[in-house]
Amino acid sequence: MPVIAASEIRGLAATSDKQLKAALGQWLDNPPRRIDRLILQGLLAAAPLKQQVRSSCGLYLASAHPARATMGALLEAVCVQHKQPKPFEFVNSVSNAAGFHIAQQLGMQGPNLFIGAGPQAWSHLLALANLDLRDGLIEQALLLVCDERGDFCVQAVLLEGAAEQHGAADFARLSAGLEVQRLQL
Amino acid sequence: MTPVYLQRAALHCALGEDLSTAALALQQGRPAAAGQFQLHELQEPRRYLYAAQTGESLAQRLDRLIDECLGAHAQALDDCLLIVASTSLDIAELEALTASQQGFSPADSTCLDSLAKQLRQRRGFAAAFTLNTACTSAANGLLYGARLINAGQYRRALVLSFETPSAIAMQGFGALMLTSPSGQYRPFHPERDGLLLGEAYACVLLGPEPGDAPLARLLGGFSACDTSSLTTTREDGSHIHWVMRQALRSAGCSAQQVELVKLHGTATTANDLAESNGMRLLYGEQMPTLSLLKPWLGHTLGACGLSESLLLLKALQLGPLPAVDYAAEALLPLAARPQALAADSLLLANFFGFGGNNASIVLQGCAQGEQPCRS
Repeated sequence: MPVIAASEIRGLAATSDKQLKAALGQWLDNPPRRIDRLILQGLLAAAPLKQQVRSSCGLYLASAHPARATMGALLEAVCVQHKQPKPFEFVNSVSNAAGFHIAQQLGMQGPNLFIGAGPQAWSHLLALANLDLRDGLIEQALLLVCDERGDFCVQAVLLEGAAEQHGAADFARLSAGLEVQRLQL
Repeated sequence: MTPVYLQRAALHCALGEDLSTAALALQQGRPAAAGQFQLHELQEPRRYLYAAQTGESLAQRLDRLIDECLGAHAQALDDCLLIVASTSLDIAELEALTASQQGFSPADSTCLDSLAKQLRQRRGFAAAFTLNTACTSAANGLLYGARLINAGQYRRALVLSFETPSAIAMQGFGALMLTSPSGQYRPFHPERDGLLLGEAYACVLLGPEPGDAPLARLLGGFSACDTSSLTTTREDGSHIHWVMRQALRSAGCSAQQVELVKLHGTATTANDLAESNGMRLLYGEQMPTLSLLKPWLGHTLGACGLSESLLLLKALQLGPLPAVDYAAEALLPLAARPQALAADSLLLANFFGFGGNNASIVLQGCAQGEQPCRS
């Protein structure tokens, strides 16, 4: 299995965005400003792998939900208060905003895809990444799945070369035999 | 890349309630009637290109669209991947819920994959996922769907793409000052003042064979992230240029072989400048015929990769493409007269979006009633 690194971040529903920002400061010198919870979570899972990521790397990101606080703020502003949304909240609500910030912070120049995370999220991400790896468009692929249903868990694996797909993929199989970098918040 | 056919297609948009009606309106130069909405706080009107109101729920409309696309004698879909490419998804329903209960609770949030999951269960697709890369969503759906077929993962793929009228999108683009105050949608005009949003529902079946109603072959494409800005691409056009070149390379053709470039052309200051610079890097001053679709459909955001491609390919089967009435003033050499092109012309189609996503795809149309396409 050409997975060369993996990380997993877990936190409580009560873990504040401020705590996430503080934790991110350990990894990134200049984290982006005015970002939401999904972007923070994605960056927290990707940043520990930064030293191993090369520019010829694609990003394949899945999340079950958008950042709920951002969506809530937009819906309240537009549909209840009949105001214009704050521009930074609107652009953060674009689902691939998290992918953009991860690619920017890690210096990744490859494709950048975002999918809704269903039960087969890892299998779909791996299939998409394998296309780009096998066609030689990229040398590495960073796969990342964010799940926040109550407490949250974000898992990431870094591939160097296409991975064989036998049956459903998941984080445990992809990261088997590796020392996973774990952070509990 | 091994070519993959766009076998059957359906479109509901402001220009018409089916693909043929919409393509005829484009080909004859008949614009859609625009509706409007008010920008909150500023209380200024903005035009919007709505599709026909049908009274259907989103689920009902998507089912009807899929039925139109697959036809009366559709096979079982257990060999077919479903890719839902949209930025709006069920946001209009969440907006209505928030307005009715005067608030939004995190528990009201729905999964980003819920529509794809429901459609998979209802229609029996082999697998399904939601793809959301802003305004390149549908272009990426086409490109990755075709490549998954070529990789042998699925026999067929259905790309379903739509953008519903969303108050958040209307007010959000308004807050970014990207919607046109004049209501004139004029990409590449020196006095362009922004975009008009549009509603569209589009669907296409991809497969390795032409099928009974082939519209085009997807020959290649490329998608990558420009990390210079979340909302704009590099003004010098260098990233767009690189993406177009990579797309042509994957299709095995040169820029000079392309007969028609479908521009992204949002009519925003920065995007049009970047795209015109990218086009000049690729072509210098000698460009193929250039096409703009957003003035006809509105900017259909995540659906534009499919709504614009289908409309253009169908219009090519019907006859000349319409002229642009401000061609003499435009930043790029747009067509001052109707352009007659063969239905099987080679097309390069550009789609760029928030999140740094830039994508180009290469297509070759099929002549109506003729199959397979020129090889």
